[in-house]
Amino acid sequence: MLDGILLEKAGIPAVSIITEPFRPTGKEMATNWGVPEYRFLEMRHPISNLTEAQLDARADAIIDQVLWLLKTGQAPE
Amino acid sequence: MTTTAASHLSDPSDPAALIETYYERGWTDGLPVVPPSRGAIEAMLAAGGLRASDLLGVIDTRNQRILADKVAINAVMAGCKPEYMPVVVAAIKGLSHPDFHYHGPATSTGGSNIVVIVNGPIAQRIGVNAKDNAFGPGFRANATIGRAVRLVMMNVLNTRPGGLDRSALGTPGKYSFCFAENEAESPWEPFHVERGFKREQSTVTIYAAEGVIQVSNGISNRPEPLLQGMADAMANLGSRNITGQGDYVVVFAGEHSALLGKSGWSKKQVKQYLYDHARRTLADLKRVERLPGPSEPGDENRWLHATESWETVLVFCAGGAVGTKSACLPAWGSPKSGRTVTTLVVEP
Repeated sequence: MLDGILLEKAGIPAVSIITEPFRPTGKEMATNWGVPEYRFLEMRHPISNLTEAQLDARADAIIDQVLWLLKTGQAPE
Repeated sequence: MTTTAASHLSDPSDPAALIETYYERGWTDGLPVVPPSRGAIEAMLAAGGLRASDLLGVIDTRNQRILADKVAINAVMAGCKPEYMPVVVAAIKGLSHPDFHYHGPATSTGGSNIVVIVNGPIAQRIGVNAKDNAFGPGFRANATIGRAVRLVMMNVLNTRPGGLDRSALGTPGKYSFCFAENEAESPWEPFHVERGFKREQSTVTIYAAEGVIQVSNGISNRPEPLLQGMADAMANLGSRNITGQGDYVVVFAGEHSALLGKSGWSKKQVKQYLYDHARRTLADLKRVERLPGPSEPGDENRWLHATESWETVLVFCAGGAVGTKSACLPAWGSPKSGRTVTTLVVEP
C-alpha cells in the first residue's frame, strides 16, 4: 500500500493490491498519508498458500482492473 | 486525542464518569485508565526534562510523529509515576528507531508483544522488577511502563485491532511486557554493557516477540542438557524464527543462570551452543510445509538455524532465585523486517 501511495505521489502510476480483509488497514494507511480516497484493488484471501498456477489465475483475473486503474489513476472519473 | 474528555462531562469531578468517557472514546486498552490532569501531565513532562512540543519519534512508514505531551498523557493514563518517564521516553525512541521497523511488528497478523527490557541503575531505583514473577503482575513499574508504550501505540499511532493492528491472536503481553535484567545475580556482564554502554548507564531494549515459551529442567546439573532443551524450544517447527532467522531473546532465571555460572561457561559459549543446536533440517521443514517444494537429496543434512548467528542470540538473566525455569521469546520477524533496539535512558 505504502509503495503505491509513494510512487503515485512521485508521479509514477502504480496500483496497490490487497486481500479483502485488509481493506480497513489499507484505508487507515491511506488516511495517514493524506489520501483517504486512495483507490486500490482487492482480491480474495488468502494467497500465501496458493500454488503458482493458482496465483497466476488470480493475476489473470485481476489484470484488467490493474490496467484500468493504471490508466485512470487516482483522479475521480 | 485532540479533545479533552472532561469538556464533555456533566460532572468532570466524578472519576468513574471520566473513566467511562475514556472507554466511550476508545482511548483505553480495555482496562480503566487514570484520567490525566494537567498537573499530572506537567509533572510527567518535567520528570522527563521535556517540553510538550518536543519530538520524540517519527514513524516514517506511517507518516506519524510522536510528541512529548502525547507520551506524557498516555504515561499518566497507564498509571506511571513521573520517575518512570525517562524509561518510557527511551522505549518510545526505540520503538521509532528506523532499525526497529515499527509498522511490521505493530501491524502484522503475527501480533507481537513489544517487550521492554530495562538495564542499568534506573531499574532498581524506580522498582522495575527483575526477580520473582519478572514477566507477571504485581509490580507497578513493570505493569505501567509497558502499558504506556502500548497506549502510545494505540492512541498516538492509531495501532488498533482490526485497523493498523491486524493481530490474529495477539498475546496477553500486549497489555504490558516490561522487566529488568537481574544484573546483580547474573554470572555475566549485563546486556547493555555487551552492547557498548557503560554499566552505570541505563538503557531500554525494545524487542518484538511472538510470546514466551517456558523451558523446564530440574534434573540436569550440566549446561549441555539444559541448553539442548532450550535449543529445541527455540527451533520448534511452528516458530517464525526457524524460517525467518530473527533475533532471539533467551532469559535464564535464577537456578539455571546459577548452574551456567558455576559451570564456568561464558555468555558467548552459551550463545554459540544455542545457535549451533537451535536448528532444523530442510527435510523437516519441507515435511511440515514450512518451506515449499519437495524434499531433495541432501535435505536431511542441510540446516536452517533459528537465528542469524551466535551474536543474535540475546541472553538475559531475570526471574526468581528458586525454580528450574527459563524461557525463550521467539521473535516476531526476520532481520530484514526489524531488529532489537537498545536506547540510552536520559535523565534530566
